[in-house]
Amino acid sequence: MININNVSFSYDKGKTEVLKNISLDIPEKKVTSFIGPSGCGKSTLLRCINRMNDLVETSMITTGQIDVMGQNINSKEVDPIELRKHIGMVFQKYNPFPKSIYDNVAYGLRIQGIKNKKTLDQAVERSLRGAALWDEVKDRLKDSALGLSGGQQQRLCIARAIAVQPKIILMDEPCSALDPIATAKVEELITELREEFTIVIVTHSMQQASRISDHTAFFYLGELIEYGQTDTIFQNPSKKRTEDYISGRFG
Amino acid sequence: MQIQGHILSEFDEALNTLKANTITMATLTQKNVENAFTGLTQRDLSICNQVIADDEEVDQLEIQIDNDSLQIMAKFQPFASDLRLVVASMKVTHNLERISDHAVSIAKRSRKIIKSEDIDEVALIEPAYQQALLMLKNAILCYTEGSTEKALEVLSMEDDLNKFHKIASKSYTKKLEEPSDHYKIFLNLVFITRWIERVGNLSTNIAEDVIFMESAQDIRHGGELEE
Ligand SMILES: Nc1ncnc2c1ncn2[C@@H]1O[C@H](COP(=O)(O)OP(=O)(O)OP(=O)(O)O)[C@@H](O)[C@H]1O
Ligand SMILES: [Mg+2]
Repeated sequence: MININNVSFSYDKGKTEVLKNISLDIPEKKVTSFIGPSGCGKSTLLRCINRMNDLVETSMITTGQIDVMGQNINSKEVDPIELRKHIGMVFQKYNPFPKSIYDNVAYGLRIQGIKNKKTLDQAVERSLRGAALWDEVKDRLKDSALGLSGGQQQRLCIARAIAVQPKIILMDEPCSALDPIATAKVEELITELREEFTIVIVTHSMQQASRISDHTAFFYLGELIEYGQTDTIFQNPSKKRTEDYISGRFG
Repeated sequence: MQIQGHILSEFDEALNTLKANTITMATLTQKNVENAFTGLTQRDLSICNQVIADDEEVDQLEIQIDNDSLQIMAKFQPFASDLRLVVASMKVTHNLERISDHAVSIAKRSRKIIKSEDIDEVALIEPAYQQALLMLKNAILCYTEGSTEKALEVLSMEDDLNKFHKIASKSYTKKLEEPSDHYKIFLNLVFITRWIERVGNLSTNIAEDVIFMESAQDIRHGGELEE
């Protein structure tokens, strides 16, 4: 689904590389987590997948190629805006727009030019149900999204991401600001979303990675140290660095 | 098995305590097995009684280790080799508890045997006993050192154990078929031989637990160890 082939990445026109020769194949309709110490490049790699790093002018992929669904995403023909329709993103700091719950979810569809009320209504309901939020908000769709709890706001952002029916959802520490119950709800949601979407999630919680992901990639100082089945990574990793990191040892 | 080096030193301490308690329990268990045999062969009633009393301490340690393991899992949520150490220690402990129970059974039968007259045939169980004891000692050592190699050695000792067990129990059943004043003693010796064999079998379980702890491979029920 996502094929990362020997990718190196720099934020300063190639002077320093924050990702070094990363190769990684992310399978379809599975949950893949990225773990590793702060600053190792997890978010950077995640943002390479939907070309969010384009926003940093001096940034560049110095070597390698990323294919999404067989298409080289950095080739001239690919329009990043078009690409991001297929790749939704959910951030650590949940960021609903200061609009109604309904408008938040309908936002992406309206941008695509969809105006028909019935189509929008259906898409909003489907997405809110998909994000396991419908029952909690169905009677207050016109209320401001900012009146929701943190956990609800994060699920709303997930609803907004899935409304445009992407193929892939990227999540950067989606639960780090949530309490255990809200976290459990988002985790359960991720497990359900796997039926339909390919999910890549960055997390600092080893427990979370081991609970929800099928595959886990461990990064250290811009390098991919180990990538494999989540069970193997957490029960019997093959690299000492991985073992040290997940078991909380001095590296 | 590395235990040192966690960022949380409290976690290091908890794992070290768990391992130390398991080793203490193993040492006590071994002593109980040895005492049960001494009680029988030296015809010493007080040593037999001591085995029965000392088993209480083994039971208490099992409970303690189970509790500590649960604590560690809840508090530190161990992964990888830490997790395997905790799980393996609980399993080793369970096997030790059963071994010590067999020592008690042996001691109880021995009390009956030494009430009657001394017979030479008691010595027939010695080879099986020596083999089982060696297996237990090595199993404990492989847990202590985290040695897969030693664990495999323990597994390879089981064939001889079976052989010695068969020889002894055959001799006793043969005696039982002949009319004899000592048939009750022989019957008790058949039981004792069986328990001695169980001590050896349970020692191989411990060895398998250690292999899992060290290599994450489950070789029970005919699995083979991969490189
Ligand atoms: N916009 C940027 N401009 C320049 N350098 C950046 C930028 N974003 C990140 N970096 C640098 O790139 C490296 C990798 O950062 P990144 O945010 O990908 O790490 P991370 O693994 O996501 O860390 P964390 O777990 O703290 O979120 C770091 O050294 C960081 O300082
Ligand atoms: Mg990050």
